[in-house]
Amino acid sequence: MERHDAIIIGGGLNGLTAAAYLARSGARVLLLERNAALGGADASYEIVPGFNISRYNLGASTLPARIVSELDLASHGLRFIRVDGGVSLLDGGGYIASYRDGAVHRRELARHSLKDADGWTRFRRDILRGAQQLRPLLAGPMSDPTRRSFSTLRRLLKTASRWGARDVGELHELTRLWTLPCADFLDDYFSSDAVKTRLAADALAGTSLGPRAPTGARHLLGAFIDETMGASGGAPARVLAIGGSSAIARALGAVIEAHGGTIRTEAEVTDVLLREGSARGVVLANGEEIQARAILSDLDLKRTFLALFPWSALPEGFVERVGRFSMRGLSAKINIALDSAPEFPAVPAGCPALLGGLRLATSLDEMDRASDDWRDGIPPRVPLIDMLIPTLADPSLAPHGRHVLSVAVHYVPETLHDGVWTGERRDELTDLVVARIAEASPGIRDRIVALETLTPPDIESEVGMTSGDLSHGETTLDQMFFNRPSPALSGYETPIRNLYLCSQSVHPGPLGIGHAGANAAALVAASLRRRG
Amino acid sequence: MSGESDIPFVEETGHEEPDETSGFREQPDFERLEASPTVDELFAPASDEPPFSRCVLTTSLHLSVAAESRTNRWTDWNGYTTPEILTTIDDEYRALRQAAALSDISPMVKYRISGRDAASYLDRLVADNVMRLSVDEVMPVVFCEDRGFVVGDGHLFRLGESEYRLVTEETHLAWLLDSALGFQVHVEDVGAALAALSLQGPHAAAVLNAAGFYDIETIRPYAARWFDLGGIPVYASRTGATGELGYELWVDPEDAPMLWARLFDKGAEFGLAATGYAVRELARIEAGIPRVGCDYLGAFAAVDLADASTPFELGLASLVDLESGHFTGRDALRRLKQREPRHLVVSMALDFPEPVQFCAVEREGAIDGTATSIGFSPALGLNLALARLRYRTGPVALSVEVDFREGLSVRRLKIPARLLTEAVIGSPMRHAVPAPLLAEF
Repeated sequence: MERHDAIIIGGGLNGLTAAAYLARSGARVLLLERNAALGGADASYEIVPGFNISRYNLGASTLPARIVSELDLASHGLRFIRVDGGVSLLDGGGYIASYRDGAVHRRELARHSLKDADGWTRFRRDILRGAQQLRPLLAGPMSDPTRRSFSTLRRLLKTASRWGARDVGELHELTRLWTLPCADFLDDYFSSDAVKTRLAADALAGTSLGPRAPTGARHLLGAFIDETMGASGGAPARVLAIGGSSAIARALGAVIEAHGGTIRTEAEVTDVLLREGSARGVVLANGEEIQARAILSDLDLKRTFLALFPWSALPEGFVERVGRFSMRGLSAKINIALDSAPEFPAVPAGCPALLGGLRLATSLDEMDRASDDWRDGIPPRVPLIDMLIPTLADPSLAPHGRHVLSVAVHYVPETLHDGVWTGERRDELTDLVVARIAEASPGIRDRIVALETLTPPDIESEVGMTSGDLSHGETTLDQMFFNRPSPALSGYETPIRNLYLCSQSVHPGPLGIGHAGANAAALVAASLRRRG
Repeated sequence: MSGESDIPFVEETGHEEPDETSGFREQPDFERLEASPTVDELFAPASDEPPFSRCVLTTSLHLSVAAESRTNRWTDWNGYTTPEILTTIDDEYRALRQAAALSDISPMVKYRISGRDAASYLDRLVADNVMRLSVDEVMPVVFCEDRGFVVGDGHLFRLGESEYRLVTEETHLAWLLDSALGFQVHVEDVGAALAALSLQGPHAAAVLNAAGFYDIETIRPYAARWFDLGGIPVYASRTGATGELGYELWVDPEDAPMLWARLFDKGAEFGLAATGYAVRELARIEAGIPRVGCDYLGAFAAVDLADASTPFELGLASLVDLESGHFTGRDALRRLKQREPRHLVVSMALDFPEPVQFCAVEREGAIDGTATSIGFSPALGLNLALARLRYRTGPVALSVEVDFREGLSVRRLKIPARLLTEAVIGSPMRHAVPAPLLAEF
């Protein structure tokens, strides 16, 4: 029987990051991935030969800069390009774009409202302040603040003294940012609906919240987490990995193998071997048993515990608590191959922001209605549609002159109020979305070479994310920080000894993909060293 | 990634192999040449062009200024192309201090504020008493938010009974409009609708006089007047941030190139020279004037609140009138005046014979502040700087650490710095009324 120091279940970006850090620290690691391709939800595939497209996510995932440099992913071939933030189409034919250049971005806002160009300065200040306060919380591990340990006490004191030195007004601003609905928060800075809708959709895409749902404003921070004060003052850049998000997975895989780790794809783990309440290894679908001193799960919380363990082996009440962790499918994915570049007459030729994506026309009211539909279990009648044409910035993804179009359809429920997703209903959704795209891009139907739609249940059955939830658990306030997934589990350890969680289900979740993997790996590496 | 695909694609027609004649053209492509825009078209303002098509705009004087450029060194000022240096910094500096220096200051932000309540609106907006400003007068102003932090500073012109112009370094439209609630006032950004020239130097009045600005010498400092230059209306104000006798000319953008040409025509005998942004900055540093966005950050731009400043911290206490009426931030400023400032923006001099760069300012070996603007004064042979220092009482022994490079070797030097209590350069002529038309020096 094989023996390893650590087995990582699941080859998503967090699992790969954990494996890479552990391998680098000298541990013998084995990473097991059920599918043929690495990357989990960031895996890509050839929709038709030669056309590479991110299968589940939009295709703009990145890793925190610290992880990229610590793991030296550059020397394993990973390259990034920074592009403008994208374009939103408007009802009635206009558009609004996000530019990295401060002066250009302000002039773009001034096209919609002269006043909003200045509103941007203050908005950016407040969001950057919020991001600065959030940033140190994301990189580090998070533990139950009520736990009586020296380190929690020290961290609490540090936080308290940091806040003591600050202006009271800043605390008020921060409270507003974390509690207000997105639309109300934006009203304070902007008057143009186009500007507000663009920012609200940037923030809320991929969540269940509508722009008028409480606590939505905090999602505005997401895009600014990596933004520094020194930037030129425009909108945050969108960072794309050359070769697509799966290139990140490939580079992480190369790091693991360079440090002597092993990666096995098409190796599905069906059970975790337990001895005296402690994880000792895994069982594969083909019956093979592999032992290891530590097991890290990059699967979501529910799948980890409800699928890999006999429920009777778990502590009293634990199964119910895990069952209550809220995971909801939120987005469908449509992958399209095009035989020529799509045209968008509303966007002036040569607009550089198109490289960062294109959002079809929507409004705050329509987003609200889509969010209501989602809650009611109805396929959204006016969905929020985000598109990325990665081949504009990275032509290597498709044959010369051809393109791929990656479409994320948001506010798509996993369970429908009147049944399940059937092939017919999937086709209805596809037709609706393609009709909307065709409104913005006449002639696109004739350019489509291949098209594939994945509903949340499709995503669940292929990548295994419960309910097709790409963020491994809703990012509501009650499921963040030390509450992700629960105070007892937030520190990456679980009730099963030697079993660790390193997926997006634990802090910081989708706010910083890779951090959970890196933090869990540090914990495991220390534990392996202690045990010799 | 392979460029091959198994899908049969219909190749578009029209992609035929280029024949030999078109592949090796002996004639230039005249059609293409004619289709390319002329220089004038290239810089013509186009209101319908998308913002991304031009990262930096050009002013109406761009071609006039470009004609003076011997260096082709440009910089970005408020989103406009501005010359950094047109000839050499020494020649431009000499023109400023010994003759007359002309520059395009159109990138300054200008607001027209008019309406029945314009005076009371402005009086509540800025920290000083606006009611004492008469028509055709100018006052330096600073305006704060309600916690007493400076939003921006600038100059306020009173053009008529209820018409004002606010000239600032940064845009403030959102703040001006938010503050206008409840007032019968109209605020309008006239930045692109108004060109501005700055003429500074001991011969400034003489140049203007020769160019047809009759009685220019009678304008007092911080006063202004309309002139008619052969049909071109020009508003001339005796202002400018150089510590020199000087004027700023406000004119319609279409007329600006003509005015520029006329000034050069008549001003040549006085040594008039076009100058760029580098000299403007140097003069500002010599005069000890902090610039927003550089020496301090506006309250709405400062991510770290420590980067924002109160007027007292900027040395602008003289622009704050706490007694004669309410204005935004007054209550906070009353409290702040009793308290110690957190930091001070000060002028420093470094006795070192060559231009150096530095950032950290040390006091007794520990970093105590940041040098925010640095310039080497050719007249004084001194390195000057504006710096933000933590407020301390007691004796001050400041120093900076400088990496001084000679050839390919570098020495790390510790150079003592001293605080300057008043501007190092200030021509007595800048206060003289009437202004001298023929320099006697």
